[in-house]
Amino acid sequence: MRVFRTHAALGLRPLTAPVMLFIPLGVLLGQNVLGIISANALAHLDIVISVGLATLGVFIGIAAGREGKQPTRLLAASTIEAGITIAVVSAAVLVLLGIWSMPIELPMLVVALALGVCASASAAPSVEAGDAAVRIVAARVADLDDVMPILLGGFVLSLAGDRTESPFAATALTVGVGLATGLCGWLLVERSEGAERGVFVLGALALLAGAPAYLGLSPLLGGMAAGFFWVIAPGQCDVIVARELRKGQHPLIVLLLIIAGARLLPSLAGVWLFAPYVVFRFAGKVLGGWTASRLAPGVAPSDLGAYLIPPGVIGIAFALNLHQVAGAAAAPLVFAATAGAIACEALAIAVAPAVDRA
Amino acid sequence: MIRRLAALVLAVLIAVFVVSAGANGAPLTALALGFALIAAAIAGELSERARLPRVTGYLLFGMICGPYLGNIITRPMARELQLINGLAVVLIAFIAGLEMNFSRLRGRLRAMLELGGVAIAVMYVVLFAALWLAWPWLGIAGELAGVQKVAVVLLLTTVVASFSPTVTIALIAESRASGPLSELTLAVVILADLLLIFCFTLTMQLVAYAFGGLREVGVFASLTWEIFGSFAFGAMAGALFAFYLRHVGREIAVALLGLCALIAGVGAELHLEPLLAALAAGLVVENIAPPRGDVLKDAAERGALPVLVVFFAAAGASLQLDALATIGGIALALSALRMALIWVACRAGNAYARIDPKVGRLVWMGLVSQAGVTLGLTMIVAAKYPGWGTTMQTLMVSLIAIHQLIGPVLFRAALARAGEIGKMDAGVTERDRAFDAEPLHAD
Repeated sequence: MRVFRTHAALGLRPLTAPVMLFIPLGVLLGQNVLGIISANALAHLDIVISVGLATLGVFIGIAAGREGKQPTRLLAASTIEAGITIAVVSAAVLVLLGIWSMPIELPMLVVALALGVCASASAAPSVEAGDAAVRIVAARVADLDDVMPILLGGFVLSLAGDRTESPFAATALTVGVGLATGLCGWLLVERSEGAERGVFVLGALALLAGAPAYLGLSPLLGGMAAGFFWVIAPGQCDVIVARELRKGQHPLIVLLLIIAGARLLPSLAGVWLFAPYVVFRFAGKVLGGWTASRLAPGVAPSDLGAYLIPPGVIGIAFALNLHQVAGAAAAPLVFAATAGAIACEALAIAVAPAVDRA
Repeated sequence: MIRRLAALVLAVLIAVFVVSAGANGAPLTALALGFALIAAAIAGELSERARLPRVTGYLLFGMICGPYLGNIITRPMARELQLINGLAVVLIAFIAGLEMNFSRLRGRLRAMLELGGVAIAVMYVVLFAALWLAWPWLGIAGELAGVQKVAVVLLLTTVVASFSPTVTIALIAESRASGPLSELTLAVVILADLLLIFCFTLTMQLVAYAFGGLREVGVFASLTWEIFGSFAFGAMAGALFAFYLRHVGREIAVALLGLCALIAGVGAELHLEPLLAALAAGLVVENIAPPRGDVLKDAAERGALPVLVVFFAAAGASLQLDALATIGGIALALSALRMALIWVACRAGNAYARIDPKVGRLVWMGLVSQAGVTLGLTMIVAAKYPGWGTTMQTLMVSLIAIHQLIGPVLFRAALARAGEIGKMDAGVTERDRAFDAEPLHAD
C-alpha cells in the first residue's frame, strides 16, 4: 500500500492522485510557461470552474442527504474534524498575518477563513471490497467533512464580494437558489428518459452553476443544497442525477486542476501563505482526526487523521471560486491552496496509516 | 405535462430574479446555458405535441424570450449563448459525415450529384437574372453599374441561394429520420454548401477587383487552402478519433465534444472551414474506421441534443426582428421568389436525374432553411464593405428569420409524408435492405 501511495504522489497513478499530474500540467500549459492557455482562454474557461463547483456540491449534498437518513454519528465526526482543521489553520494564519503585516488586499479574516475552508477538504481514499473497516470509515468521513466547510465557504464568499446584504442573508439566498433549482430539476428529471434526461440534468447543473456565479455567491453551496433536496424528494432523482453527472465527473476535475495550474501566479504573499497552510493543515488534520475518531466506531485514533491528509480537489475549487468573486486579490490564496495541495499529497506518502503499512 | 410547465415557470422565475439581482459584468455564460437548456427543451417538447419540429420550438423560445421581445434572455446572455455556435456547427457536420456511408450510397451517388448540380445551376442563373432586374428596388447600392453591379449582384445571388446544412442535419437527427429523402436532401445541401463556399470566395475576389481592392493572394491559393486544407485537417482529426474509439473507447461523448472543440478552435485559427473539416472527420470515421456497435451513435445523440437545443435557442434569440419590421416587404417578396425558384430548380433537377417522383417532389421542402452559414457569409461582406454590405446584411438577416421559421416546418412535413420519421432507430442492415429495395431512379 505504501508503494501504491508513493506511485500516486509521483503521479504514476493519475486516477488516485490527479493533483500531482494535472496541476503541473496546467502550470506548463499556462501563461507563465508555454502560454497555450492564455489569459483570454482562462476567461472563457471560467464556466468550467462554476460547473465543476456545482457538480462537486451536488455530489456532497447527495452524500450528506443519504447519510442524514441513517442514525449515524459519522456526519458529526466529520463536522468536528473539519471544524478543528478550519480553526487551527484560520487561527494560525490570522496570527501570522498580524505579525508579518503582509500587504494583502483582502481582509485578514477573509484570508484566514478562506484558507481554513480550503484546508479542511480531504480526498476520500478509494475503497474496495475486503478493505479494513478503518479505511471504509475514513472514506465516509472524507466524503462528509466537506459539508460544514461548504456552508462556511458560502459565508466567506459573501464577505469577500461586494454584495450589499449581510453575509447571513447572502448564504440563505444561495441555499434558496439551490433549492429552487433543485425543485425545477426534480420536476423535469423524474419523468424523462434518454438523451432528454441528460439535457435536463445538464440544464439544472448549468443553472446551479450560473445563478450563484452571477450573484457572486457559491455554486458549491447551491449545488449542495440541490443535491440534498434531490435525496429527500420522492423518487429516484438523486440516483439519476448522480449517474448522469458521473459521466462527466473525471474530465471536469481534470479541467479544474489544469485551470488551477494555469492560474498559478507566484507572489511573495502566496509563498508566505503556502508554508503555514501546509504545516497547520497537517496539524489540524491529525488533531481533527484524533478527536473525530472518538465518535467514529472502530477507528484507531492515530489512523483517521493520516487517511485525511491527501487534500483532494474541493479546496482548490473553493480557492478558484474566491478568485472569481474577489478577482486578482485572491491570487495568493489560489497559489497557497494549489501548491499546498501538491505538498500535502507528497506529505501523505510519509504518513501512511498503520493499517496500510501493515 | 403540468410538471414540465411548472418547471418552465420556475426556471423563468429563477432567471428573471437572478438577472435583476446580479451585478453588471458578472459571468453570465452558465446562467444563460442553464436557462436556455431547460426552457428551450420544454418548448421543443411542446412544439412536438403541436406536430411541429422541435427545432421550431427551440427557435420560437429563443425569439420570444430573446432581447427583441420578452428580454428574459438579455442581449449579453444572447451574446454568451453564441459562444456555442462554433461547437454546434462542427458537431452537426460531424454527425452528417457519420450518416454518409459510401458503400451504401454508391448506387445512388450519380443521381444525387445530377439532381444537386442541375438544381443549383438553374437556381443560380434564374436568381441572378431576377435580382439584376429587381436591383433598383432592393435598396442595396442602386447606383452601381457595370462590373461593380455584376459583382455585387453575383454576391447577393450566392448568399440568397445558400441553404442550411445545419438545419437539415439537425432535423434529420432530431426526428430520427432515415431513408431516400433524408439522404438525398442531405447530399444536395452539402454539395450546395461546398459549391457556395467556392462561389463565394470567387465572387468576393471579383468584388474586390471591381472595387479596386484585390490583394496579392491568389484566388485559387485561398480556395485550395479553405477547401482542401479543411478536408485534410478534418480527415486527420477523424483518423485520430477513430484510433481513440478503437483503442481507448471510454467517455466517448466527452471525447467527441473535445474533438469538435478542437476542430472549431483550430479551424478558426487556421482560417479553415470548420463545417467541411468536421464533415471530413465524420466521413473518415464512418467509412474507414467505423466503430463497433452503437457506442458512437449513442454518444453523438447524447452530446448532440444539448448542443442543438442551445444552438437553435441562441439563433432564435439573435433573430433581429427589428430588421424584419424595417424591410419586411422586400424580404417577403425575395423569400417567395427564392422558394418558387427552389421548387422549379428541383423539378428540373428531378427530371434530368430521373429521380423517383415520390421522393423527388419532396426534396425542395428540405432546401428552404437558411441559418448560420448564410449569416456568417453576410457578416464577412458587411465587415469588408460597411456601406452597401451592411444593407445587404440587414436584408439577409430578415430573409434568414423568415426561412428559419418556415424551413424546418416544411422539411419535417416532407419527412413525415415520405414516412421516414423515426426510421433511424431501425437496424443498419434492415435500413440497407429497405433502401436497396427502393432505388432513387424512377426506372
